Amino acid sequence: MSTTALLLLLVLVGLLTYLYRYAMIGLFASRSLPRWLHALCLHIAPASFAALTASALFVAGGEVVFAFDTPRPWAALVAVLVAWRTRNVLATIGAGMAALYLLKLLFPT
Amino acid sequence: MAHGGITARGEFLAGCRDEAPLLLGVAPFGMIYGIAALAAGVPAWLAQLASAIVFAGAVQLVIVQMLAAGAGFIPIALTSGLLNLRHVLYSASMAEYVRHLPRRWRLLLAYVLTDEAYAVAVLRYQQRHAAAADHAEHTNATADLRHWYFLGAGFTLWAGWQLSTAAGLLFGTTIPPEWELDFAVPLTFIALLTLLLRERAGQAAALVAGLGALAFAALPYKLGLVAAIVLGLAAGAWTVRRLEQAR
Repeated sequence: MSTTALLLLLVLVGLLTYLYRYAMIGLFASRSLPRWLHALCLHIAPASFAALTASALFVAGGEVVFAFDTPRPWAALVAVLVAWRTRNVLATIGAGMAALYLLKLLFPT
Repeated sequence: MAHGGITARGEFLAGCRDEAPLLLGVAPFGMIYGIAALAAGVPAWLAQLASAIVFAGAVQLVIVQMLAAGAGFIPIALTSGLLNLRHVLYSASMAEYVRHLPRRWRLLLAYVLTDEAYAVAVLRYQQRHAAAADHAEHTNATADLRHWYFLGAGFTLWAGWQLSTAAGLLFGTTIPPEWELDFAVPLTFIALLTLLLRERAGQAAALVAGLGALAFAALPYKLGLVAAIVLGLAAGAWTVRRLEQAR
């Protein structure tokens, strides 16, 4: 993507985000959030993060690749376990990176 | 927290002070964002500018992650547009507290209405709701100045986000690619996802979206991600209905 296109994209996303934030305190201040939209909002983050995680781990160049002979999927598994146990974001990132480095050290390519 | 004689300045500073501890949690994300943005080939000035005009951590990380994966304009715009929709929720729950303010105040507060500023400000509003209402009945002179508190919290987060982005961008140029710090981005998603998977419908949405991302991997420009998220939302909505019917 060219720098100009990226700048345009960021301005667009910024404007949209601002509109969302202003929506209920400004544009529709006298109305309450419809129930369906409320439910939808609650599911957006889990759906987005799951899709992006799956894609980051198992998609390369438009193809599904389960590269279990590389460290990343295993480091991600360690992160999942730590996230589950601790529910701590920084501990999860730290454990995942540590696992990645350890695996790279133990099994140099 | 400073109670006592309430002034605009005092409220603003109290907001700053109460927001400050949250910066410890926010700063690493700002740095990860800065580092990952450079790794994805985003010019440093643009990455910094993005922190000012978008000012939403999760979506900035998503944009960088998708750029690194070679996604196109439309898929990134659609995914960001969907993911950030949850800010409407914060806006809705703040509405009752700021509705009475003049428009220029609401325009300003909308800009700083982030997850972390919301979390701090909403506490102040709930805490002093009863007390302030009591007070106001006795004397009209003590105006409600809690919007200054909100602004202080928001401003502190804003400044922390800009500075941590800048730190990531400075630091990022000196880090060798072998450190694979870009991997911190999917790790962040894993951590946030685990925190969010509390109820059945959210779990269904995540599962279907995750599988969908693999099923639609071949779609060009990473449009498969958008399809996966939409499908996940449908699965979430369907689960909600099923659970309601079962009740």
